[in-house]
Amino acid sequence: MFYFLAAMVIVFSILTVTSRKVLRAATYLLFVLIATAAIYFLLEYTFLAAVQLTVYAGGIVVLIIFSILLTSRLSEKAPVASVRQQILSALAAGAGAVLTLLTILKYGFPQESVASEPTSAVQIGNALTSYNRDGFALAFEVISVLLLAAMIGAIVVARREKLKEEESNKEL
Amino acid sequence: MVFNDFLTMRHELILVCMILLVLIIDLCVSKANKTVMIPVAISLFLIHTIIGFLPAQSGVLFGGAYHSEPLTVLMKNILNIGVVIVLLQSAAWLQKEENREKISEFFMIMWATLTGMYFMISSGDFLMLYLGLELATIPMATLAAYVHHQTKSAEAGVKFILSSALSSGILLFGLSMIYGTCGSMYFDTIQTAYGNAPLQVLAFLFFFSGMAFKISLVPFHLWTADVYEGAPVNVTSYFSVISKGASAFILIIVLYTVFHSIAYLWKDVLYIISIITMVVGNLFALRQQNLKRFLAFSSIAQAGFLLLGLLGANEVGMTATIYFVLVYIFSNLGAFGVVSAIHAKTGKENISDYNGLYKTNPLLSLLMMLSMFSLAGIPPVAGFFGKFFLFTSAASAGYYWLVFIAVLNATISLYYYLMVVKAMFINKNDNPIPYFKSDAYTRVGLICAALGIFVIGFWSQIYEIITSLAFGVIK
Amino acid sequence: MTQGIPLNFFLIISTLMFFIGIFGFLTRRNLITMLMSIELILNAVNINFVVFNKYLYPQQLHGLFFSLIIIAVAAAEAAVAIAIIINIYRNFKSIDVDNVDEMKY
Repeated sequence: MFYFLAAMVIVFSILTVTSRKVLRAATYLLFVLIATAAIYFLLEYTFLAAVQLTVYAGGIVVLIIFSILLTSRLSEKAPVASVRQQILSALAAGAGAVLTLLTILKYGFPQESVASEPTSAVQIGNALTSYNRDGFALAFEVISVLLLAAMIGAIVVARREKLKEEESNKEL
Repeated sequence: MVFNDFLTMRHELILVCMILLVLIIDLCVSKANKTVMIPVAISLFLIHTIIGFLPAQSGVLFGGAYHSEPLTVLMKNILNIGVVIVLLQSAAWLQKEENREKISEFFMIMWATLTGMYFMISSGDFLMLYLGLELATIPMATLAAYVHHQTKSAEAGVKFILSSALSSGILLFGLSMIYGTCGSMYFDTIQTAYGNAPLQVLAFLFFFSGMAFKISLVPFHLWTADVYEGAPVNVTSYFSVISKGASAFILIIVLYTVFHSIAYLWKDVLYIISIITMVVGNLFALRQQNLKRFLAFSSIAQAGFLLLGLLGANEVGMTATIYFVLVYIFSNLGAFGVVSAIHAKTGKENISDYNGLYKTNPLLSLLMMLSMFSLAGIPPVAGFFGKFFLFTSAASAGYYWLVFIAVLNATISLYYYLMVVKAMFINKNDNPIPYFKSDAYTRVGLICAALGIFVIGFWSQIYEIITSLAFGVIK
Repeated sequence: MTQGIPLNFFLIISTLMFFIGIFGFLTRRNLITMLMSIELILNAVNINFVVFNKYLYPQQLHGLFFSLIIIAVAAAEAAVAIAIIINIYRNFKSIDVDNVDEMKY
C-alpha cells in the first residue's frame, strides 16, 4: 500500500509541474494531496488526514481551480520556460535533491517507529488548549489573528472600486 | 495565567485589541467621512506606543513559547516609534480620493503585520517564529497590492507573496530537519541538542536562506527592487524600514541564542554573504534613476553592513547591530518621508525630478540631505556612529579584511548618496517641483525623523542603554 | 500499519517532492502554476514533520501541530495570492509571467 502511494505521489508531483494544461496540473495536484492524506491515514494520524482532505484538497484546490476557470482560456496551453532554463533548473533541483538525500541517509535516523497508540482527538484537543509546555494555545490564538488579517487583506485587494465599476457600466 | 502575565505581553495584546477596535469604529463611521479614521487610528497607536514604554515584568509564558525581556521590549519600542512616523507620513496619501474607502483597512493590515513582528521577536520556539513570520508577510502582500488601478502595485503584491511563500517553504524544510534531529521546537532544547552533524548544518543553511529572503541579502534579493518600486511609497517605507529592522532583530536573537553552538559555521556564511550583499547592492544602486529603486538597492547594501555587526557573535556586536538598525530606521524614514511628501503632491519620484529642489523647497531638501548623509555615514550625523560601531566591533573580532572591504563600499555609497544631494542643490532645472506646503501630519512625521537622526547621533546614552540590555541575553 | 517501512523511505519521498516543487517554481511561467508548486513544497514539509513525529518523538505532538498550522497558513496564503492574481488578471487580462513584466530588472 505504501509503495503504491509513494509512486502515486512522485508521479503526480512530476506531472503537476510539467503538464502544459493548467487545469490538468491542478487535478494532478489534487491527486498528490489525496495520496498524502492516505499516507497520513497509514501513519494513523486520522485527524490530520481529515484536515488535509478538507482544507487542502477540498479548500485550496477548489480555490485554485476556480481561479483557473476565471482567468484562463482552457484550450490555451501554458507558456513554458526556454529549454535552457528548464535544463538549468532541473540540474539545480536535481543536485539539491541528491545532496539533501545523501545527507539525510548518512545521518542514520532510527528506522523503526517507536510503538505508540494512535493519537486520539482528545489528546489533540488537550494539547491545542493547553498553555503549558508542549501546548499550543498561543499558536492557536495567533493563527486566528493571521486568518483575520488575511481575510481583511484579501477583501481589500479583491474589492472593485465603486468608481471604476460605474465607468465600466457606462462603457457597456 | 494571572494578570501579570497579560501585562508581560501587553504589546501584542493591546495591538490586537486596537485592530478590533478600529474594525468596530469603522462600522460606526459613515462612508463620507472615513478620513476621521486617520486621527483616530494614529492617536490609538500613540497610546499604544506610550504604554509600551511603561515598565513591566519580563518573563517566559506558555511553557517557553513566548518570552519577554528588556531587550525584546526595547526592540518592539524601536519598531513602534518607526511605525508612528510611517503612519504620520502616510496620512496625506491616505486622504486621497481613491484611498478613502479603505483607510481603516490600511491601519488594520499594517498593525496585524506589526503583531507578527512582535511575536517573532518574542518567540521562544520555531512554531511561533514561523507563525509570526507568516503573520508579518501575508497581509503585507495585500498592502503592496493596495492600489487598484496601478498594475505595478498588484504586480509588486504578487511578486512579494510568491517569493515569500517560496522562502518560507525553504525555511520550513530546514525547520523540519531541525525538528527531526533535535526532537523539539523549543529554542532552549534545540540550543543544547544542536550539534554539527552534516544534516544539521544543511538544515541551518535551509533556514538561513529562508531568512535571507526576508532581509533581502544578495543571492535572494531579486524580488526587492520590483516590490519596492511597485508598492505605494508609504508601504515601501514600511517594508524597507520596519519590516527589515524587525527581521534583523530576529536574526540577531536566533543566531545568538539558538544557533550559538554552530557560530563558527554561520560566521563563514555571513562573511561571504555580507561581502556579496554590499558589493551588489552598491553597484546596482549606482545606476538607478527611480528614487524608490535607488533606496531599495541602498537598503540592500545597508543590510550587508548590518551583517558585519552580527559577525562579532558577542555583546558588542549585538549592541552595534541594534544601534545601527535604530539609526537606519530614522535615516531611511527621513528619506522616504521626503519622497512620499513629494509623491503625494506631484507624483514624481525620479532623481532627475529633484533637480533644483533646494530653490523651491529648501526645508525638504535639507532633510533629504540629512538622511542621505546619515545613510552614507558622514561624521556629524547619526549614521556615522552606526557604521563606526559596526566596523569597530567587526575589527575587534579580527575581521580586518572584511572591514577594509566594507570601508571601500561605504566610500562607493558616498558617491551615489551625494549624487542625490548634488541633484537637489547644484543641478539646474527649468521646471523644478513647485513650492508646496505639506499638511500637518506629514510635517510632524518629517520633524520626528529629523529629530531622531540628531538625537541618536548626539545623545550617547542610547548606546549605553542598549549595551546594558544586550548583556545577559547571550547564554 | 507502517510496520516494516523504514523512516528513510518517507524522507526520500518528501525530499523528492520538495525539489520537484522547486523545479516547478523555477520553470513555470504562469502565476497559478507557480502557486501550485509552492503547495507541493509545503506538502513535502508536512510529510517530514508528521513522519518525524510518528517515528521518533511520539510522546509529544509538535510535528503534528506544525503540520496543522502549515495547512492553515497555506490556506490563508493561497487565498491572498489568488485575490491578487485575479486583480492582476483584471488589469493585464493575462496571468503569465512574461506579460506581467512592466518593471525592468
